[in-house]
Amino acid sequence: MQVINTVADSDVAVKVTSLSKRFPNGTLALDNVSLEVPRGQVLALIGLSGSGKSTLLRTLNGLHAPTGGKVVVQGTDVSTANGKSLRKLRHHIGFVFQQFGLVGRATCMENVLVGSLGSLRGPRLGVRSYPVALRRKALEQLERVGLSEQAFQRADTLSGGQMQRVAIARSLMQEPSVLLADEPVASLDPESANQVLDLILRIAREDGMTVICTLHQVELALGWSDRIVGLRAGQVVLDQMNAQLSQDQVMEVYRATGTPMQFETESALQSA
Amino acid sequence: MSPSATRERLSPPITATQVQLFIFTVACVAAFVWSWIFLGMSFSGITSSFGDVSRLVKRMVPPDFSNLSNIVDATIETVWMAVMGTAGAIVLSFPLALGAARNTSPHPTIRYICRTVISLTRAVPDLVLGAVFVSALSIGPLPGVLALAIHSIGMVGKLFADAIEQAAEAPREATISVGATRRQTTRASILPQAMPSMIATALFRLEINIRASTVLGLVGAGGIGVLIQTSLRSLDYESALGAVAVIFVVVTAVELLSVRIRSAILGDAAALAQSSRHGWFSQRIIARDTRVNRKSFETRALSPPWTWDRMFSTATISGFLLALAVAVLTIDIDWARTVPLMPQIITVFGDLFPPDFTTVRSEMVTGIVESVVIAVIATGLGLLIAVPLSLLAARNIMTKRILSTVTRLVMLAFRGIPELIIAVIFVSAMGLGPVPGTLALTVVTASFSAKLFAEALEEVDAAPREAVLAVGAGKIQEFFASVVPQFMPAFTGHFLYILDVNLRSSTVLGIVGGGGIGFLLLNSMRVLEFQTTGAIVMAIFGIVLAIELIGNWVRQLLR
Repeated sequence: MQVINTVADSDVAVKVTSLSKRFPNGTLALDNVSLEVPRGQVLALIGLSGSGKSTLLRTLNGLHAPTGGKVVVQGTDVSTANGKSLRKLRHHIGFVFQQFGLVGRATCMENVLVGSLGSLRGPRLGVRSYPVALRRKALEQLERVGLSEQAFQRADTLSGGQMQRVAIARSLMQEPSVLLADEPVASLDPESANQVLDLILRIAREDGMTVICTLHQVELALGWSDRIVGLRAGQVVLDQMNAQLSQDQVMEVYRATGTPMQFETESALQSA
Repeated sequence: MSPSATRERLSPPITATQVQLFIFTVACVAAFVWSWIFLGMSFSGITSSFGDVSRLVKRMVPPDFSNLSNIVDATIETVWMAVMGTAGAIVLSFPLALGAARNTSPHPTIRYICRTVISLTRAVPDLVLGAVFVSALSIGPLPGVLALAIHSIGMVGKLFADAIEQAAEAPREATISVGATRRQTTRASILPQAMPSMIATALFRLEINIRASTVLGLVGAGGIGVLIQTSLRSLDYESALGAVAVIFVVVTAVELLSVRIRSAILGDAAALAQSSRHGWFSQRIIARDTRVNRKSFETRALSPPWTWDRMFSTATISGFLLALAVAVLTIDIDWARTVPLMPQIITVFGDLFPPDFTTVRSEMVTGIVESVVIAVIATGLGLLIAVPLSLLAARNIMTKRILSTVTRLVMLAFRGIPELIIAVIFVSAMGLGPVPGTLALTVVTASFSAKLFAEALEEVDAAPREAVLAVGAGKIQEFFASVVPQFMPAFTGHFLYILDVNLRSSTVLGIVGGGGIGFLLLNSMRVLEFQTTGAIVMAIFGIVLAIELIGNWVRQLLR
């Protein structure tokens, strides 16, 4: 199933080899996953909830430590990086979360400035504690996502789509070479979802970023990415360039597996 | 674009709110510094004071339990007083809350009256009420019970009203639309929603009242408090520690129990199922609930099945009622003698009016200033200790579980001894005066607010924290960028609350010789100058009202 395995190492942004992740409670979230993502590719990661998509993304920037296998991002081995080297690596990997990860009470500007913490020494509190040059840069990023007017508005006063755009501006502060996006549009209405995905795609093309993005909506994944990788129960079950795929093939990833147990739990919760 | 315009856009605009918060902060710091100088506090003084206290504590060891039966009797009386006081508060608060809540109040005027009554009862400290009731009914547990019942209305009534107001609107409309009367609507749609929160409030108040009733004895209102003071006065330190130890055990046990019961009543089963900490137990509960639900469906039962929630609430309520019955039957109150004396309470309250501010004016001013100063220093110092403690105790900040557990245990240990008892011990060690009172209050503030802060820290949203770590920030950077901004509103809110609590406490510290207006208050009652008492109560009332207004102002800034 592997399509792209003939690229030179220097052109590889992310290389995952036989990666496994077992959580302390025993769940095997990733089961021997191998994946190679060339520079500048926009990859959509699809699969049911609990199929291991988020875990895979989180392993890529060291938010989760793998229990087996190897993860190399931009030539750095994430699985062995720790402390300072891990922080340095993270500084060059953008991460966009489903729930945005904004500090609601802080202004948009401050939330964007947080993206530069990896290049600064010492703690910061409040916009004024950041150097003016960085503030100017933050404003430019806000401009890029179309929210410079809201710079000093509290983040929790924005709509969901706007919040996600602030979160993207925060990632842009890192000048990332790789952007990881974990269900960036799952909490948004269709209109905002399109806006946010278009924004990510535009920026990725402009800056030559590699993007790995988990998505729920198959149509979005088909219309938007270069390549689609499907996960089921922690294993890669689909890996194709977008052009060769039909919707039915992709839907196959979502084929129901072992649902009776899930049903049991749900009915128990409802009656409780 | 001019350079200045660019600079302006790069710095946040200064809002009126920020200016006001800044003024408030500066005023707080200034008040602390001024109070510090006023009392002549110094760190070396504090160190030597704690030396005095530890020497006294050493003389208290080993505790003497030779009059254990006395201690146990007094403890049981203390607990029964708290149970009866809480029951009285519930009975009195319920109609007041129905009248005060927006969605159940029959008329805006009634709503206003109920709200006023609720806040008035909160403003007079329970010890002051206790002292007034003692002078009407003579010493014994009954004045204590009445004091607890009346003073508790302030909190219980307010939280009951909040619970009623938080009930969803749709069920009420639905009930009205089937033609139900007002009372039927309240009964059918609002009370079921408010009940868990109300039970939790009542339990929490019971916990507070057990602490409070241990010290009511200091003004002759029954309970174990007087035993400790007598032992200390007769230099029988070992017996004093014996009584303190028993109080400690009871208070700590009640707190641990009450926290468990409250979280079980408030938390729904689904949330329990997801929390990994109670995983096994809650899975069993849910499995059992599913089973009994299915069975009652299959057998077409016409009454609700005994689910875990239902059993638990029923057990809690019946347990409380049982305790109440035992309390009423066994407590040492001569109902035949005291009931006819009840009208005297009104006479004594009448004697407080008109308040006479003239007789001891200068002493009164000094006393009030001293009370405020004590509260300010205790709050400031207490917070300085509480913040680092809370960082150690919060499990999402201090990831070394053992350290956070140890910190929690230390905090729990200090909370187990009521503040006035600590004050009695400090006064015995250091002599009369405001400094021992201040230090006692500081110790209590530190352990109490560290608990509040740790809880607030644990409620901090984890999503922004993960996002900040993902950009490559260090742990300390992450703390300042994501935890501090989220924690600030809770911190300020708790700070105001603690200042409020400490002001109330510092007005009664004088009763045990810990400085402030309390001494004058008790004295005026002893010499039967009730109009002076009235003036002091009015003054305390004024302070409490002032801090409440300041608190409302700052809270509104933080919204």
